[in-house]
Amino acid sequence: MRGGLSVVAGAALALVACSHPPEVVYPGPKQPIRPSAVVAEDTAPKEDLRLVPPEVYMRTYLQLFGGLAPLDVQKRARGGDGAALFDSWDDYVSALGFPDYRLDIPRQTQTNALMVATFERLGVALCDRAVEHDLKGPKGGGPPAVAERVVFAFDVPRGEIDAQGFATRFDVLHRTFLGYPAALAPSQRGARFYQLYRDIVASHAKADPKSRFTPEEAGWAAVCYGLVRHPEFHLY
Amino acid sequence: MPILMLLSLAVASVSAWMGDGARAEAPPPARRTLEDYRHFRIAAIDLLGRMPTRDEIAGFERSDFDFARWVDRALTGPAYTERMTRIYMDVLRLEPNLNFRNATSELLRHEVLGPDGKNVWVYYRENQRRERPETDGEFCLSPDETGVVIRARQPDKGTPKKVTKKTLDQFTVAVRPWWLYRDYKTREPKQLYGTDAWKNADPQYRPVESLVTEDGKPVTEVRVCREEASARDAGHVYASGRTKPPPKDAKLPGGRTRPPPVDSRYATQHQGEEVVCATKLGLDNAPDCGCGVGLERCIPGDGNNGGNAFYFPNHMPLGPGYPLDDARQRQERWFPYWWSREAVHFLDDLFASDRDFREILTGKQSFVNGPLAQFYGSIQRSNCCGPETGFGMLQESEPLFEPRAVPEDLEPQDVSTWKLVTDRGPHAAGILTMPMFLEKYASARARGAALYNDFLCKSFVADNQQLTASTEPNLMVRPGCKTCHATLEPLAAYFARVEPSSFVFLPESLFPVHSTTCKLDKNGRLNGGCNALYDAAFADAKSATLRSAYGSPEHADETPAGAARDIVAMPEFAACAVQRVTSSFLGRPTNADDQALLDELTSSFVRSGFKMRSLVKAIVLSDAYGKSNNLASGTWRGGSQ
Repeated sequence: MRGGLSVVAGAALALVACSHPPEVVYPGPKQPIRPSAVVAEDTAPKEDLRLVPPEVYMRTYLQLFGGLAPLDVQKRARGGDGAALFDSWDDYVSALGFPDYRLDIPRQTQTNALMVATFERLGVALCDRAVEHDLKGPKGGGPPAVAERVVFAFDVPRGEIDAQGFATRFDVLHRTFLGYPAALAPSQRGARFYQLYRDIVASHAKADPKSRFTPEEAGWAAVCYGLVRHPEFHLY
Repeated sequence: MPILMLLSLAVASVSAWMGDGARAEAPPPARRTLEDYRHFRIAAIDLLGRMPTRDEIAGFERSDFDFARWVDRALTGPAYTERMTRIYMDVLRLEPNLNFRNATSELLRHEVLGPDGKNVWVYYRENQRRERPETDGEFCLSPDETGVVIRARQPDKGTPKKVTKKTLDQFTVAVRPWWLYRDYKTREPKQLYGTDAWKNADPQYRPVESLVTEDGKPVTEVRVCREEASARDAGHVYASGRTKPPPKDAKLPGGRTRPPPVDSRYATQHQGEEVVCATKLGLDNAPDCGCGVGLERCIPGDGNNGGNAFYFPNHMPLGPGYPLDDARQRQERWFPYWWSREAVHFLDDLFASDRDFREILTGKQSFVNGPLAQFYGSIQRSNCCGPETGFGMLQESEPLFEPRAVPEDLEPQDVSTWKLVTDRGPHAAGILTMPMFLEKYASARARGAALYNDFLCKSFVADNQQLTASTEPNLMVRPGCKTCHATLEPLAAYFARVEPSSFVFLPESLFPVHSTTCKLDKNGRLNGGCNALYDAAFADAKSATLRSAYGSPEHADETPAGAARDIVAMPEFAACAVQRVTSSFLGRPTNADDQALLDELTSSFVRSGFKMRSLVKAIVLSDAYGKSNNLASGTWRGGSQ
């Protein structure tokens, strides 16, 4: 019964449709098309951002790790704390997009899920070890002077910092990872990172101290994660 | 307009930017836009090989920052060289997935039960000729003497028994080899690896533990079959008198399970004549030919199947100073590894010295280190000669790398010392005559196609033809094949004189393109060495054509050096180089919209004498580069946070 109704309805619709006069597309009206808005033509060539070559990524990574050789970075990133932050370069080398000339595998020019996951893992290892080195100090010996810190090259006061205090320090990290002042970034970026920082500090402050980091250290580590995994870091 | 701003900065600048960004009297900062920062960042990524540091950004922000001058400085740095080499390594992919296996230069190792019941390692060569029929062509101790049938790369058969001291001393000898002693060439080598006696050892020279220690103690000498230990440069052709194999049920001497080799026609005809020991002919025919002084003509392995020899990394994308791993490597990978490094050194020098880029194909120069000096000095000769002997070539007469061009002051352990060789020899042609290229692109057609694709930026694309059955051997006319092969075969012919999967050069004097010595027999076949080197498909009852030469006999005689001359003279060569470099720096394939830029760059590249540095500078300072890859610029301005 329902099928019969559908057929009748369909036939009626078809009749209605067929009853319209055919649409004339050519020749059309001679009047010029009325503009709805006027914008300046952007004549710049449009190409997608490219992936930073893996050699550049790795060299930058080594430099942010204090200018160490890859195997030294591997040793330091793995650490002896059982945190399993880092496996070995051999595990990452193809995921990072390096070519393998021996097997005629070309370099990868676009990201993929495995590559992004590798960026994340390497980035977290970098930020955590940088917090340990720059904010805690090597082997608990106190943090080095600000000028000697590669990533967190600013003082980290205990307790809350205001938006201005955060912005000054965030600018250092922004320049370190993304290569330009935070002031030139999209307008909400600073506020959103500030909120991230505050959320992390608050959540670490109320929990039992299960983390190796103080709330402030955890907050800055999270900001670091956000920047080292940012698309602008991996593209150019 | 960032480029105008940068140019005005360059004019206004009164002091050079020093790159440290931390001078005391810093001038006021300049106004920089996001596009300016972006231009600086991509230039740093391309020319410094990493993202800019905070200090470098601070330097860039100064009002006296001179971008053009900064580019000039960056173009003299190692990262620029590495960047440029990477472009051509991506194209040529000159890393080995291959082994250099060569019985003449490969020392295998097997243990026997010594007189005191302890195992003794004995080094030997596969197929080594020996005058004893019990061991000729086999391990130097017979199965009757060791209790075991020992054969290269085969599992043992039998139960080991003690070898008497007299037998051991009679057929083996203790040697202080090159891999253990820095001064192995002296009468009494003393500078032992891993001890203070060997001062300033190259840290990258690292034999595997099993070659340098035994039971935790340093090995001070190795036991080697007596024939292999021969230090002679020349030996003598040996004829045993065995002209045909023994009957199947005959008892073989010494308990051997495989009959001893019979004399080749060459051995019979040339018995007693002198032969160069470094050649394959020496191994095949002369029992008095061995591995030379301190075994320097051989590479050790720690097993009966070759085995491990040295440590070197599997991955080092940032160069040998920054390995990502450290791996024990088999002996047959030792030389291919250095062939690849030679190609990288050649390219590095080409860009670092800002040589005429045409030298990538025409250059006579190269760089060698200790292992390559060892290779080109002696070991490359072991590739020859087999079928070539029938044409009178007993050793390579015109090698692509003349052994006399090898620096004399390089020892095999000098792995980190690289020396310029200004002229490899008359047949040298840039990258084209390096072992790495010739082994990577093993056939003449592969080599020709690499030229066409990599240096003319052209591809072989088949047209839409109906394929029909054909017995036409000439692919330049066979339907369905001719579209590509009419171009490919003449290109391949340039490489007809370099044997496939090898780098043995066949000189014109001994191997004419059309040989009247080689001709089809009554069965329509070529025989002996003719079959290996000449093409039966292009032969008749009167003559035969050298393999791969039929596409262009003229090109065959021009050799790879002629290919280099002809290719660099084509206008497509410069255009291709410019297109590759521009595309790499823009980070995208070039398209029709870029043609005006490419034409301008090509014109100035040619005018500059094919100098890459000026080309790259022009690209980096161009508006197209500064504004390249801006599709996601909205992301920068307001999209992603």
